[in-house]
Amino acid sequence: MSLYIFSKRKLGALALLAVSGLLVFWVASAPHPFVAADIPPHTANLENGKLFYNIGGCISCHASEADAAVPAGGKPFATPIGVLYPPNLTSDPKTGLGKWSNLDFVNAMQKGLHPDGAHLIPAFPYTSYANMNVDDVLDIKAYLDALPPVKNASKQHDVMALPIIRRGLGLWKWIGLNHAKFMADSKQSTSWNRGAYLVNGPGHCSECHTPRTIFMSSNTAKLFQGGPHPEGKGKVPSLRDLSGRGRYKDAKDLVLAFQNGEELGYDKMSSGGMGEVRKNISKLSESDIAAIAEYVMSLK
Amino acid sequence: MISKISTGFMVGAVVLALGAGVAYAALAGDEAITARQACMKANGKMMGTLVPMIKGEKPYDAAAVKAALDGEGPACSKWAEFWPEDSKVGKAVKTRALDAIWTDPKGFEAAGNADYKAFTELAATTDEAGFKAKFPALGAACGGCHEKFRAPAP
Repeated sequence: MSLYIFSKRKLGALALLAVSGLLVFWVASAPHPFVAADIPPHTANLENGKLFYNIGGCISCHASEADAAVPAGGKPFATPIGVLYPPNLTSDPKTGLGKWSNLDFVNAMQKGLHPDGAHLIPAFPYTSYANMNVDDVLDIKAYLDALPPVKNASKQHDVMALPIIRRGLGLWKWIGLNHAKFMADSKQSTSWNRGAYLVNGPGHCSECHTPRTIFMSSNTAKLFQGGPHPEGKGKVPSLRDLSGRGRYKDAKDLVLAFQNGEELGYDKMSSGGMGEVRKNISKLSESDIAAIAEYVMSLK
Repeated sequence: MISKISTGFMVGAVVLALGAGVAYAALAGDEAITARQACMKANGKMMGTLVPMIKGEKPYDAAAVKAALDGEGPACSKWAEFWPEDSKVGKAVKTRALDAIWTDPKGFEAAGNADYKAFTELAATTDEAGFKAKFPALGAACGGCHEKFRAPAP
């Protein structure tokens, strides 16, 4: 009899623990979106939007299967958690971003949140985009809005227990998502700072070139030291001391590599997805590419 | 009688030797990996001569270009045998070959053909203008394979 009472109590305690645990999880993993007042008034600059669309590498993941130059999404993207189908970024109101407000777009890019409040999978590198100036983010939206709308319904990601993973990302964001905006270093040149911004914000180079902690957050103590390749085979090289390691002679050499790749005999930027990245970077102005090179070559 | 037997024996020996010869000729496993890596090394050596001329670091030298292109040939002549199924993963040697080589044979063949075409067109050039016009296609063809079919360095 006493045993019966004991186990009933124990059960009650367990249930209480479970419920409070779930409650803590639910509260801690809640989305914290920007509100309308956080978004400054904006005058669109399409040229700037195109620049940031290119350095952001949007097309590399959001290409449509029908046309590799159109960001209508759908091309399968294999990741360790399953196959993702990046969504349609064109302005089609039903299947694309046509109905998204500026607030919706900034929340996706910098908070990793869908307009419905769901946490976005960080294969979409909002962890880096979070460092961007809001004006540059909004110019990307303006650029996307100006592209012809393409009807292409987004496919469900093929990931186990996706709703639970999504909600769990709310917890992960406490350690994985840093909202600090890019801060210029007044001791460095204007072009160095421009390069640092492009590399660390929109370029999201650190997402692959910095190893991750056991919590899958960026291991900032090992910034740009390279690490395992996210797709398995081989490694992502370190970006530190590129000249000392004999990879590139100087910033000029690296600029030529970005602009020409193997057409000029530079074969270190082809494999592991970097070929795509290089092509995106090659679309930037010479001065922006030089700024990126100046910053990257300064990493020791 | 004896001569008949010995003739039969000799024919048999020749057939066996031929069979062994054929089996020996087709590269397999680590042997194929080592052979294709030697071909890539030869490519790299060739590029070591051509790239400085493209970049203008060294003057164009038609004879040196020809020697570099000719020098690449022998190491890569067995290209078609470089990719047997049993060479996806090396036993004693490491390989950066990606599975895509075998899962996308058409794409891989197209990438190889693009390289062969660009190489042939570059080899047909005789002056600096032609060389500079045709080189980028060869470089791009190298990239075409390295992007889809080669893993990043270990």
